[in-house]
Amino acid sequence: MELSIDRLTKHYGHKIAVDRVSAVLSPGVYGLLGANGAGKTTLMRMLCAILEPTSGEVRLNGKEVSAMGEAYRNVLGYLPQDFGYYPSYTAAEFLCYIAALKGIPRQAAQKRVKQLLATLELTAVANRKIKTFSGGMKQRVGIAQALLNDPYVLILDEPTAGLDPKERVRLRNLLSEYAGDKIVILSTHIVSDVEAIADEVFVMNAGQFIAHGTVPSLAAQVRGKVWELTVPREQARSWQEDFTVANYRHEGDQVVLRIISEYMPSAEAHICEPILDDAYLYYFGAKEA
Amino acid sequence: MELFALEHKRLWRTPRVWICVLLCFAYSVIWGTLFQYQWLGFGTQHDTTDPYDFSFDGYSNIRGFQEQFSQFGDEWTDETFQKMVAAYQSYDIYEKPGLQSMGDWIVAYSFLDRLYPELEDAENQKYQPLILYADTSKITDFYQRRADLLEFTLEVTKQNEGLTDADKQMLLDMNSQIEEPWPYEWTQGWANLPFNWSKLAPYLAIALAFLFSGEWHNSTAPMLHTTKYGWRKLARVKVLSGLAFALEFYVLIAGSKILLQLIYFGTSGWDLPIQYISLLAVAPWNMLQAELYELAFGLIGVVGYAGLVMLMSSLVKNNVLALVFSLAFVYVPDVLERYLPKWLMAVSQYLPLVGNSRDIYGYNIFHIFGLSVWSPWMMITVPLLIGIACIPFAIRFWSRRQRA
Repeated sequence: MELSIDRLTKHYGHKIAVDRVSAVLSPGVYGLLGANGAGKTTLMRMLCAILEPTSGEVRLNGKEVSAMGEAYRNVLGYLPQDFGYYPSYTAAEFLCYIAALKGIPRQAAQKRVKQLLATLELTAVANRKIKTFSGGMKQRVGIAQALLNDPYVLILDEPTAGLDPKERVRLRNLLSEYAGDKIVILSTHIVSDVEAIADEVFVMNAGQFIAHGTVPSLAAQVRGKVWELTVPREQARSWQEDFTVANYRHEGDQVVLRIISEYMPSAEAHICEPILDDAYLYYFGAKEA
Repeated sequence: MELFALEHKRLWRTPRVWICVLLCFAYSVIWGTLFQYQWLGFGTQHDTTDPYDFSFDGYSNIRGFQEQFSQFGDEWTDETFQKMVAAYQSYDIYEKPGLQSMGDWIVAYSFLDRLYPELEDAENQKYQPLILYADTSKITDFYQRRADLLEFTLEVTKQNEGLTDADKQMLLDMNSQIEEPWPYEWTQGWANLPFNWSKLAPYLAIALAFLFSGEWHNSTAPMLHTTKYGWRKLARVKVLSGLAFALEFYVLIAGSKILLQLIYFGTSGWDLPIQYISLLAVAPWNMLQAELYELAFGLIGVVGYAGLVMLMSSLVKNNVLALVFSLAFVYVPDVLERYLPKWLMAVSQYLPLVGNSRDIYGYNIFHIFGLSVWSPWMMITVPLLIGIACIPFAIRFWSRRQRA
């Protein structure tokens, strides 16, 4: 299975939301990393064939997805960024309704709904109205609906939004387990989410992929550019103004700064092993990120 | 089918929808029908200055009137008319004010007023209506007088409203099919049945205006689009469930009204000619036929309006706008009646739930491709065609919005 994106472009009037983006995705987990407004959601909507590209195309196993129509949607699972639901529906009813829209026979749907409710730890609240759920619970219902048809292409737009740390870890594990022979694409601006599970990460800015690769390879791109420096607390602000500071940690009266810089910021600075966060900040800068 | 069942269930389960249905039922059936029959319409009136001073005894009054008016015979002849006027003259109507509304006072009063104007006495007229002092021996030639008045009215209509000779003849031919003498029973039961279907419009609009636009409001549209059946099948299912809801809504309201009608009036009076409601109507129809037309008119209006509302819902993403546009179709022609050109007002009457079924008492004739069509047939054809025409557009517009 292969999902190929070929010079995908979307213009809104004079504004370019996605600009000639290309990639070839085989089974695995892909992280789409970018600041708000980078074009992630627009790209994902085009991947789902909700949005018509201005130019370029998306192909699944060589076939143009919008031309595939029902056949593509049958293997697609999508969690939109602003996941909507019917307030008067219970979680189980809502999932059964979406299952019917996905063409899953009733008996199979009931079994699948039960299974997903258990997986996402929603069994106890299955018969409660969704409007009474917390943000994290609603998000889990959204993830469950995306997984209903056991999709080969799973696209999750900001799936960790609203989830507490425990729920985020559970979701990461679920997606890692799920991926296997499927293509999972998740967008986020929370670096640790993709760092933990993504096989490959695309960094997006101003509608373009500005970097992509595995987590170690992206991190490696900033090797030699990540420094740690201990400074007096009163000097911390001026360092922040002059450099991209990835981390700021108090140690007594001193402050330990993690600085992203092309050059050694100070003779006292020592080089550090980079992580994906550093690469992200390297591309976006602290303010933009 | 399963998707239709789920969508239909979802529509009915929406609190807004069932609250609307309950309110409409309470207003149209409980207040507008049950209370009218049992209380305000046929209950015994005590104080004529108090609009609510009625007893809750409509059922027994109706039975009483059916019994009481059977004394006038089962045919409407000059003798029947004379006996009825004489009977009214012998009652003290100020002591029995209910007679004016519940008896056949209205029929006798209006027939007398229109067909026997020469019986009016200028001196008496100041103090009491004609029916209370008319010389009963002069109430003769009822059917001839009606025919003469009809001829005169059609001639006036011809001169003022462009009725052609052929149209006039067509109307006279219809009139000639009315059998004389007319059967007679107490008329006020079945004559009370016409219903203003436009009253259903706000309830239908509130229930259906959010059908498509609501998906944007709930932010469910992008998710629905990526499901296997996507927008196209879902749009069809939504339209079907919207139409099914409109039908069920109609059956609930109309069925309840028919049930109450049968309980209160029974079948007595079904075969009376509609000329008891409108003396110069030319349609050779009885009350049952008029009621069937009324029901068909209501059904078509409801289905047609459902189509219009669903189109509005698919055109805009905003629930409130969808509702406002839907209601505008029904209420704007009313509000702008004085300002719109006459032809536009006439055209607007053919929008679903805008016009009314009273055209069956009128003389409007349309000429379409050389055919003369009596307006009531147009009244039940055009709204349906409008509703049906809206459906494919509703599906199409929603699908366009989905991909925007």
